[in-house]
Amino acid sequence: MDPQLFFRLHDAAGVPAPFWFVELFKVLGFTLHMVPMNLFYAGTLVAMLLGLAHAPQGRRFSARLMSQTPVIVALGVNFGIVPLLFMQVAYNKAFYPATILMAWFWMGVIALLIPAYYGIYVYAFGLRGKTPLAGWRRGVGWLSAILFVAIGFVFANALSLMTRVGQWPQLLEDHGSAGAALGTALNTSDPTFWPRWLLMFGLALGTTAVWMLVDAAWLAGKESDDYRCWAKQFATRLYVLSFAWTAAAGTWYVFGTWRQDVFKSMFSWPALPLTGLTAAAPGLLLAFLVWRRKEPLLDRRQTAWLGLAQFGVLAVNAISRQVVQNLELGPYLNVATQPTAVQWSPLLAFLALLVVGLGVVAWMVLQVVKAERGIRPS
Amino acid sequence: MHYPWWHVPGLTAPMLIAVISVVHVLVSHYAVGGGFFLAIETGHAHRHNDRAYLDYLKGHATFFVLLTVVFGAITGVGIWWTIGLASPLATETLIRTFVFGWAMEWVAFVVELTAAFIFYYYWNKLSPPLHTRIGWIYAWAAWISLVLITAITAFMLDPGDWSPAHNSFWVALLNPQCIPQIVARTGGALLLTSLYVYFHSSLFVREQRLRDLIQKRSSRPALLGAVLILAGGVGWFYFLPESAWAVLQAAAAINLLMMLIFALTILVLVLVYLGPYRNPGWLTPGFAAALLALGIAAFASGEFIRESVRKPYIIYNVVFGNQILTGEVSQLRRDGYLEGGAWTKPYVAAKYPGVMTAGRIDPQKLLELPPTDRIHLGEVLFQYHCNDCHAAARGYSALGPQLLGRPRDMILGTVEHLEVAHFFMPPWAGTPQEAEILTDYLVSIRPPRPAGMQPLGSAKETP
Repeated sequence: MDPQLFFRLHDAAGVPAPFWFVELFKVLGFTLHMVPMNLFYAGTLVAMLLGLAHAPQGRRFSARLMSQTPVIVALGVNFGIVPLLFMQVAYNKAFYPATILMAWFWMGVIALLIPAYYGIYVYAFGLRGKTPLAGWRRGVGWLSAILFVAIGFVFANALSLMTRVGQWPQLLEDHGSAGAALGTALNTSDPTFWPRWLLMFGLALGTTAVWMLVDAAWLAGKESDDYRCWAKQFATRLYVLSFAWTAAAGTWYVFGTWRQDVFKSMFSWPALPLTGLTAAAPGLLLAFLVWRRKEPLLDRRQTAWLGLAQFGVLAVNAISRQVVQNLELGPYLNVATQPTAVQWSPLLAFLALLVVGLGVVAWMVLQVVKAERGIRPS
Repeated sequence: MHYPWWHVPGLTAPMLIAVISVVHVLVSHYAVGGGFFLAIETGHAHRHNDRAYLDYLKGHATFFVLLTVVFGAITGVGIWWTIGLASPLATETLIRTFVFGWAMEWVAFVVELTAAFIFYYYWNKLSPPLHTRIGWIYAWAAWISLVLITAITAFMLDPGDWSPAHNSFWVALLNPQCIPQIVARTGGALLLTSLYVYFHSSLFVREQRLRDLIQKRSSRPALLGAVLILAGGVGWFYFLPESAWAVLQAAAAINLLMMLIFALTILVLVLVYLGPYRNPGWLTPGFAAALLALGIAAFASGEFIRESVRKPYIIYNVVFGNQILTGEVSQLRRDGYLEGGAWTKPYVAAKYPGVMTAGRIDPQKLLELPPTDRIHLGEVLFQYHCNDCHAAARGYSALGPQLLGRPRDMILGTVEHLEVAHFFMPPWAGTPQEAEILTDYLVSIRPPRPAGMQPLGSAKETP
């Protein structure tokens, strides 16, 4: 089968937004999504492991993160809508076939996410009581953590399959019935799949480490200094692990699996600085943490900068991924040159509503901050 | 045709959309109506310093958050998942038209989520007026979500003056079905919420005064909701495209469901008036469960009708049920359905290179294939042309039993004139040769005539 033929039909209507706008919101949305997603992807696993720790501070962090996770999951799901929406605007010809080929697994995300999310609530509600957490609730917590990893596995499959167009005919042949997809394919034979999945897990460990520092400095006012010192030390070690993991998976991914044309493009101008920054960014953060390793605590300002820096690490990673995705799809689909029919007034209406919406959210959060500080809210 | 078809044995892929959608709307309407319920009632309880009622409302808010923020939100994403898998062309068209509608809905969702968590987690930590205000922010944000999504689903039934060539967002959004459906769904949200409240309070509230208060106060939005459903329903009916009217009249099952939805809504209205409104003491857990079940039945019927009356379209006059743009039919009839399909052509070219001439599928050569290959390619046509709505030999709306007893010529005639045989079917979008091979396949799945039947009199008289 000639994969070029899959892309030959025209879409019903042009892309309703400029290319840069689609890319901006896709990347920005994905970066925003990655922050909470990282925390429930690797964070719940870390929290469950620390729940078994002898050190009381480890168990304390476990309880703190698991109590926050219901809100974190909600934010992750919510922010995930943005990249998903804009991906379907311009990458429909790659996204739909990939997910249809593995439809049952893709549907499985929903089937796994509902029990995983309820499991988090079951665990978090158990933490509210004064008695030790019941064994069955611990079991549910573990199940949720494993389900989140499984969901990551499915996502990595779908997003890597999106660009592995050359393999679609074989997958349809192996998992099809009379030319139709049975939806039972997976992309595990793709050499890029495993390092991609592992790479995201490594980044997620780093985000969890940084969150540990931010939480200790900003939200753990009622915790002891002893806890905060422990959190700082543990977060530094966790970030070292994250760095090593990310470096190993990233090296495997880039040097072991990239197509030659993709490799060549990413290691030549103008993408080269981006490639370099993507590789170096976690190292800069690690260097800071190692430099301050003797200090028992980091202050709020430092942790705020660290939080922003980790957001930056995720953002450059998301930008690089986007560039690589466009290069991989290049032989079949040039997203930038698709016909457009820009809907300017709805676009502006959306931006206006976004400003108003963020204003309302900021106002609500401000009221909460005032309430937390004991100031009578207006 | 533009995308690979997902074959779901027995059920058909679009039925998964129906299953998830119905489950989702039962929660998402509560997510909207429940917002108003919590905002109004929390304000009332704060004003009257009714601690018992506030305690109940806090418990209800826990139930509300657990149901709507988890199950409601994830099944909402589930609809996205299934429409992309089962109706990719229609989804692509909707996204190209309404991406900013969905983006605006996402903004409302962000506000909704923030307000919901603050309202719930900061119970007793915010001043009463501020707490109530946060509740109102949630309620209006949720309602804005309802308005935007309803306008988009209403567009599918009747895009009005919208055309793909101009792709005007505002024309699409303000379609003829928009207002009636918003009115009906707002009513549905209010009514369904009251039914949830009745059920929840009948299980968890022991104090008679409080039970009477909750039931009495919740009956007013329920009655208003029922009136809005009926008003919106009449508007929906009045603005239906002519073909949808015809579907309503032609299909006995839809006819029956249409009667059922009006009857159930009126029944719920009467029971709410006689029960919670006039005689709150009547509302036992059994009565409340029955009311909720009736409401759910009415909702599910309404969703089924909403989907059914669009036949043969997914988006009226734009995308057919079998994932073809209406403007593509004539070309497909000329060049061939297998040739025109982005996924069928490479499949045929790889499997049967002998039917290719100068890089194109030669329809005449299809008829020269051995019978097993003709049947196989007929099955390919069935998957891409028919499986959206029909299972094959067994399952949802299976074709096998429907062809029982029909001779080959009659089946061929039906295939070639689908939209004539049944006006709510999409037209045949292939060449006459492709109709032949599809017929070969259909004949292969046609069960034999049941033994013992004597349609023309006694067995002896039948030739």
